[in-house]
Amino acid sequence: MKILLVEDNERVAQFVRKGLGEAGHTVDHAGNGRDGLFLASSEPYDAMILDRMLPGGIDGLAIIEALRRTGNRTPILILSALDDVDERIRGLRAGGDDYLTKPFAFGELAARLDALLRRAQPAQATTALAVDDLRMDLLARKVTRAGRSIHLQPREFKLLEFLMRHAGQVVTRTMLLENVWDYHFDPQTNVIDVHISKLRQKIDGESERPLLRTVRGSGYMLSADG
Amino acid sequence: MASASAGRPGKASPAAGALRILRSTSVRLALGYAGLFIASSLLLGGLLWWLTAGYLDREIEAVILSDTRAVSDSLRDFGLAGAVDTVRERIGRYGDQNAIYLLTGPTLAPVAGNLDGWPVQAGRAAGWYQADMVRGGTVHATRLLHIALPGGFHLLVGRDVQELIELRAVILEALAIAAAAALLLGILGAFLVRRAAQRRVEAINRTAAAIVQGDLAQRLPTRESADEFDQLADTVNRMLEQIEQLVEGVRNVSNAIAHDLRTPLAEVRVRLEEVLRNRPPQEATFEAIDETLQEIDRVMAMFNALLRLAEIDSGVRRSGFRPVDLASVVEEVVELYGPTAEAGQITLAVEDEPGLMVQGDPFLLAQALGNLLDNAVKFSPLGGRVLLSLARRADDRILVTVADQGPGIPDCEKERVAERFFRGDASRGTAGFGLGLSVVASVARLHGGSLVLADAAPGLVASLALPAAPPAG
Repeated sequence: MKILLVEDNERVAQFVRKGLGEAGHTVDHAGNGRDGLFLASSEPYDAMILDRMLPGGIDGLAIIEALRRTGNRTPILILSALDDVDERIRGLRAGGDDYLTKPFAFGELAARLDALLRRAQPAQATTALAVDDLRMDLLARKVTRAGRSIHLQPREFKLLEFLMRHAGQVVTRTMLLENVWDYHFDPQTNVIDVHISKLRQKIDGESERPLLRTVRGSGYMLSADG
Repeated sequence: MASASAGRPGKASPAAGALRILRSTSVRLALGYAGLFIASSLLLGGLLWWLTAGYLDREIEAVILSDTRAVSDSLRDFGLAGAVDTVRERIGRYGDQNAIYLLTGPTLAPVAGNLDGWPVQAGRAAGWYQADMVRGGTVHATRLLHIALPGGFHLLVGRDVQELIELRAVILEALAIAAAAALLLGILGAFLVRRAAQRRVEAINRTAAAIVQGDLAQRLPTRESADEFDQLADTVNRMLEQIEQLVEGVRNVSNAIAHDLRTPLAEVRVRLEEVLRNRPPQEATFEAIDETLQEIDRVMAMFNALLRLAEIDSGVRRSGFRPVDLASVVEEVVELYGPTAEAGQITLAVEDEPGLMVQGDPFLLAQALGNLLDNAVKFSPLGGRVLLSLARRADDRILVTVADQGPGIPDCEKERVAERFFRGDASRGTAGFGLGLSVVASVARLHGGSLVLADAAPGLVASLALPAAPPAG
């Protein structure tokens, strides 16, 4: 995938470029708002990562607004050192698709970018999800593993649905908290881990092929080659 | 420099100086007071004059008029003889020297009366006259009315007004003295009013100046009177209270940051330096880096928690308040923490009361309740029970209570647990960095409520007391 990174901090930019390059993406980098806007409006990208505050008179929000006005719908992830609900809302209102506060762990950035790229693909109205022999019927709200029915609580169902929709991707705890629980704060303890381990118990149980695994330092991943 | 200072108001003309003084509220207040006082005094004096001296004047004129009417009526009805009779009868009735009557023929030759001849001051034309007459050896002021009667007769009726004039002088003198006193009192009053107002303002000014200098403990003086100045002082004092608390909060936070954030950073530094110096095998190096990253994540989490606290305390979140059904908040939070409690074999019991609404931010309330529940679960013994209950108190406050069977918080620590980074004895060796209850207390404050901690012996009863939302309508 082709990604545009607009970030004025050289070190952060290099770190993100290297990481995304290793994940198989092509990354163009602009160090200021003007170059960023020029690249963003002249080249086709699959996703953009924009720093909120940029030198050169044009900041991240201005780029987003300019792009959205011209009908450019490329998914955009905003990076910002401003961690404030108002700032977050302003960024998303301007047309950003997700918001990540600096400093961030690379895993978090990669996971969110993957989610954005996935979302950008034409959404087919799915009624069923499948990962290996784990199947989810979204209409009947039923889950089976190797044909065996698994009973899930409503929240566990939502949690598994999110993991299955992002199968093969790393999903962070924050992403889960935001998307499954709709909470935007850090619970003090590892409540998410406990939910995950309960879910894992139900879907993997004694199976020789566990699907849900923990990605150390980042989060979780549901995949067939678990 | 000299040319620069020439244009300053201090050296400006006296008129400008007077203008500046006039701009002072206390001076204007005092001037207004004096003006009003003097004006009302003058009005009172005028009324007094009209009621005393003026009244006597009018009385005398009325008596004179009635006398002339009596004589002219007699002349008309009974002829000259009748008129002369009336004059004589009147002179006889009054008998005193104060009444003057003179009836004359066309040549002003006396026909009847107690005057020897027509006084020079009383002219030939009819009308009112003021004349000085020598009566009984002294000069007396008299008031005279000259009317022409049919048949060419002239009638002069008068009264001695010497005493009246003397009385009038006395009244005038008294009024003048009163006016002088009023003026004096007005000015004195104005001065006092100005001084009183200025004193209060100066007291406020002095205190404010001391506060500007950094003494935030100062409070404006208030008196028992509860007048406008006191109300103002009260409001300002409440504001100062708030400011002092905020400043104290900022100071605590800076101290806390200095201590509690530097410690983990120092640890990170030591660890990295150790790796750099000792050059341990690769495996150990990566392990050390991993541990340091975790430490840094902890610092970041602390920062986030602090920023969040600052955000809550700033009150900006209040703009997003909406009616929140507490039962649904409780349900969600219990659902979030349920598995964690289960893992510790802790029973989570809920005593719900549906329909309890508060005006608030559902996410913050969830976070506050989550923190309370988190603590309860963390400190509960294995197999313990945590009870979450909702209840409306008689005073229209809603209590969201989390009761556990843990060690509780000793009384000496209850006051301090809401402080940032405070960690009680019981929390040593557990995860967290002492901001959980700070967040709860701040959220409670933001919603106009409070965090109340009590003992359950054993265990802690932590309650959020929130004002109930006014009924929708």
